[in-house]
Order: sequence, then structure tokens, then C-alpha cells
Amino acid sequence: MELDSFFQILILVVGFYMAWNIGANDVSNAMGTSVGSGALTLKKAVFFAAVLEFSGAYFAGGSVSETMQRGLLHTNVFLIDPTVFILGMCAALLATGIWLQIASYCGWPVSTTHAMVGSIVGFGLIIGGPEAVQWDRFLPIVLTWVASPMISGLISYLMFIILQKKILYALNPVEATKKLYPFLVFTVFFVFSISLLFNGLENLNLNLSFFELTLIAAFIGFIPACVSYKLVKKVETPSTYPHFSPSRPQNIISLEKAAKHLERVQSASFKNIHDKVSTLASEIHSLAQSMKKEIKPPEKASEYKTVEKMFIYLQIFSACFVAFAHGANDVSNAIGPVAAVLDIIKNGAISEIAVIPSWLLAFGGIGIVLGLATWGWRVIETIGKKITELTPTRGFCAEFGAATTILVASKLGIPLSTTHCLVGAVLGIGLARGMPALNLGMLKEIILSWVITIPASAIMSILMYYLLKAFVFQFFIAH
Amino acid sequence: MLTIARLFGKSPFAPLQTHMKRVANCIEKLTDIFDILPKKDLERIEKLAKDLSELEHEADLTKNDIRNHLPKNIFLPIDRSHFLDILSIQDHIADKAEELGILLSFKTLDLQEELKDDLKELYKKSAETFWQAKKIIEELDELVESSFGGIGAEKVKSMVEHTAYLEHEVSHTQRKLLKKILSQNTPLSTTSFYLWEHLIRELGAIAELSEGLANRIRMILELK
Repeated sequence: MELDSFFQILILVVGFYMAWNIGANDVSNAMGTSVGSGALTLKKAVFFAAVLEFSGAYFAGGSVSETMQRGLLHTNVFLIDPTVFILGMCAALLATGIWLQIASYCGWPVSTTHAMVGSIVGFGLIIGGPEAVQWDRFLPIVLTWVASPMISGLISYLMFIILQKKILYALNPVEATKKLYPFLVFTVFFVFSISLLFNGLENLNLNLSFFELTLIAAFIGFIPACVSYKLVKKVETPSTYPHFSPSRPQNIISLEKAAKHLERVQSASFKNIHDKVSTLASEIHSLAQSMKKEIKPPEKASEYKTVEKMFIYLQIFSACFVAFAHGANDVSNAIGPVAAVLDIIKNGAISEIAVIPSWLLAFGGIGIVLGLATWGWRVIETIGKKITELTPTRGFCAEFGAATTILVASKLGIPLSTTHCLVGAVLGIGLARGMPALNLGMLKEIILSWVITIPASAIMSILMYYLLKAFVFQFFIAH
Repeated sequence: MLTIARLFGKSPFAPLQTHMKRVANCIEKLTDIFDILPKKDLERIEKLAKDLSELEHEADLTKNDIRNHLPKNIFLPIDRSHFLDILSIQDHIADKAEELGILLSFKTLDLQEELKDDLKELYKKSAETFWQAKKIIEELDELVESSFGGIGAEKVKSMVEHTAYLEHEVSHTQRKLLKKILSQNTPLSTTSFYLWEHLIRELGAIAELSEGLANRIRMILELK
């Protein structure tokens, strides 16, 4: 076998293995919450995830893959001996894949993206020396790793505050939801399309001005908003409406307060006034009592339940949004290095204009879908059982915040951790008093995994590099 | 990855409600004691007081369990100190109930005919205040759902106001009863008076603590 074709096959296999790993472990982040809240059945969740992960990878996965391909290392450093680079990339993929499997087996919180970037940079640093690493691009990426959970936390915090003010704190939540719903649908689709069309869609060769972009996005948002407006109208509002009835609870409360105040006057007065006040008080008291009997206070529980039910559909949208964004961002982890190696084998150098062939993106997408189909659905099921706290309103806010952050970063070519964005988003909701209890011990673990993952995957990739090198030398060069 | 799943801590609100249920058991036992008080059967009262002590101990165990399992890094929608305050007020209520039960088992209460109804009224009102506070604690689930605002909070607020009103009635009855005792023609013996005085004070304390508990919950509401 030719060395080149061996390398081609090797890089494709390890790339596919990596994509499989991503599909097996990370897709659950997008869909787990929807399964947990009962918004989607497991089958539907897997189907939606597969379709959206693939389209995310195919349509929007290019920019981050380019970063992974040529944004981290100066490839010219390796051009004297391209084999070193090819082996390094193979080693990086293999190391990350193995490291991820160990980590997920042991339940450590690691990020695929951090591990991948760690192995590529680690390899470049040790084998190529410090000048091989593009520090000016690597450092901003690391900075966004800190910033991205905060940004997605902020977005979901604001989103949840809006829901609180407009729906949860409203006196009739269902009616308020009906009013707000079309706007929320509009926002989701508007943000989704604007962040997708931002920088143009390279695969479709679209180049739009900002104004055109907004217009198109608004149009895309407008249609589903209209549809939802029609659909939401059909939802029945609980019939016992305090607002239209004279005996609404607030009135009863006011009457009781009045009676109470009168009783105070009564106990502080004498003779005439005392008698008058006491008759007044008893009259008011009996009036309040009869009003109380007339109408029961509305069933609050059912009101909030209806709201949550209505939000199920929004949560499905936002979960799909996450799956799409995840596909767009994470396919690069598998595809970026593969593209780099294929380019080197083909041209002897990384080409000036980076091209990630569409078939390669599709290849990564298929890998992710396969990982999801063979293993990932199990993880979705477990996560779904564990996360029941994320009700549709909360889930929607968290996923909206995370997905927006990830998609914008994907369009800017920044690889970041989907998991961390989601954690940030959930914490944002917690800050807005939306969660019953959050385990902040997780943060320590995440930071720890941060500090450990990068060196660990770097060391792993170097070990892998030497192993592969010995292997290749044994079978191809020695003869 | 299970990272996201591990972000969700166990909510301590359900254990808090369990503790309140245990406290309610104590109050129920205390009701039994007050019900048989006119029969002046010290032996039975003693037995009931013993049961009450047992129940109070159970509540204490739950309380300790909650305290021990509220890790420092858990992030709640309400202030930690508020949460612990709520727990400790609930605990105090159980303590008071136990004290009352034991006090009544020491000596047969000198329960004269004209004081009977007043004592019953005082006890009933004090217990009612407690049950109102318990209802408020049961609303906590829904408060979390509406993130401490909205109609759920409105409802709790009116319940808190009602608790305050009940407490006011209790102190009124308390004063009435004490006045009656002090203005009796044939004064009670010193030991009897000691028992009465404590009884009145502790019953008032249960109502006061219940009101305090309700007000604590009022503080965590998100109302303008």
C-alpha cells in the first residue's frame, strides 16, 4: 500500500471515529431536556437530532472547520516533512477520541472541543515548537471559552426575566402566554435565521447587506409567528376568571382587610363609635364570607400547567436550534484535522484559500448521526430521566441562550463547548430564581476539567504521535 | 455527557415540607392531649406526652438531615439563611408543642368550669394559626414554579395576612384568659397559676412562631 493512501484511509477512519464519539456523547445535550420534560418521545428526539445535527454540520459547519484546519497551527513549519504533520493530526484525533471515551466512561465532565484544540495545540507545541502555534488565534479562542458560558447565561437570564415579568408574574398566565407566544416564536426564528445568514451562507454563495439580512430574517420569523398566533388562539383559557367576576379573590382580600382594620378601630373606641364600627365590621365580614363561598379561587396549578404545555412546542424549536448549532460547531472537531491532512496529501501544502469540501462536512455529519443512532440515544434517555427540573419554560430559555451563542460563534469560526454554554444558560435561569436547586459544585468540576483536559489531551496526542510514528516506520519506511 | 444532568441539585423544598409534616404530627398529638384535658386523666396524658416527645425527636432527625445535606455549593432560588431560618422556626414550633405536652403531664391542670371554654378557644385558635402556616409551606412547590411571583405569590401573600390576623386573635384570647384568671375571687394556688401562666404563654408562642414562619415566606416573595 502506498503511504499516502494509507494516510488517507487512516485519517478518514479516525475522523469518523471522532465524529461518532461526538454523536454518541454530546447530542444528548440538545435533546435530553426535551425528552426529560416530556416534550418529545425518545424516537422523535433522535430523529429530529439526526436531521438537525446533519444539516447544522453540512450548512454551517464550514467556518469552525476552517479554524480547526488551519487556524491553530502554522503548517509551513511542518512542510519540510509533511508526514510529521499528518501523523500529528491522526494522533490528535485518535487521542481525543480515546480520551473522550475514558472521560465519559468515568463520568468526568470534559469538552470535546477543548480536548480537540488541546491535542492539536499540544502536538504543535511539542513537535513543532512554540512558533508552530498561531498564538494570536489560539488565545482569543481560549478567551471565548470563558466568555461563551457567560454570554449564553446572560441571554437566557434576560429571556427568563421577560417570561417572568410577562407570564409567570401575570395575574392570568395563560392569557399572557397567548399574547406573548407569537412574539417568542418570531424571536426564535428571527435570531435563528439572522445568526445563520450572518456572514452569508457559504455553501449557497449568499452575500447580503445587513439590511437585507434583517429583512429576510424578519420575514422568516413572521410566517411561523402568524401560524402560532392562529394555533395559540385555540388554547382554552381556564374558565374561572377572577378578572371578569365581581367576587375575584383580590376583592375578597380587600374586604377582609377592611374588616380587620375596622376591628382595630373597634377595639380602640368606645360606646357609639364602638357599636357602629362593630356592626360595620361584622357586615363586611359576612359579605366577604359569602363571596368566598360564591367562587373558589382559580386553580393556579392548572394555569401554570397549561403555560408549560404551551411552551413544549417552543422548547422543541429551541432544542432543534441547539442540535443545529451543535452540528455546526462540533463537526469541525472531527473534520478540521481531516481536511488539513487531505489537503496536505493532495497539494503538498495547506492551500491559501481554505476549502472544506462539502462531502467532508456531510461525512462528518453522517458520523455524528451514526454515533447518535448506535449509542447517543441511550445517553439521551439517561439525561432525559435525570433532568426533569428543566420544565418547558426553563428549557426553552436555556436552550435559546445556548444555541444563539453557539451558532454565532460557529459563524465566526470559533470552536467552543456546547456543554459549557448550556451550563452557563441554566445558571442564568438559576440567577433569575427559576430553578429549585443548582449544584454549583459542578462549576469547580468544569474548571478542573478545563485545566486537566487541555494538558491531558496534549500529552495523549503526543504519545499517540510517537506510537503512530513507530508503527508507520515499522511497516512503510523500514522496508 | 452527564455534565448537564449533574448541574441539577436535589431541591431541599420537599424535605422542608416533610419536616413541616412531622411538626404537624406533634401538633396533632398535642390536640389529643388538649381534648382529654377536662377528663383529668394524668396517666393518659403522660402517655400521650411521651408519644409527642417521640414525634418531636423524629422531626429533629429530619431537621438535622436537612441541615447536614444542604451542601455549601447548592444554589437555591431563596437565600440560604432564609431557608435555614424557616427550618429553625418549624423546629421551634415542634419544641414548643413538646414542652406543652410535658408540662401538662406533670400535674393535673386546675381546670375550672368557667375557664374551660376560654382555654379551648385559645388552643383552637393557636392550632389554626399553625395549620395556616403549614398550608403556606405546602405552597412552596408552586411558588418555585412561578418563580416566587404572580398569582401564586398573591395567594400566599393573602394567606400570610390571614395568619397574622389569626395570631392577633390568639393574643387577644390570651389576654382575655389571663385577665379572667387574675380576677378570680378565689385565687389559684401558686403551682396551678404557674402551670396556667406557662400554658397561656406557650400557646401564644406557637401562634407567634407560626406567624413568624408565614412572614419569612412573605419575605421571599417577588411582589411589588
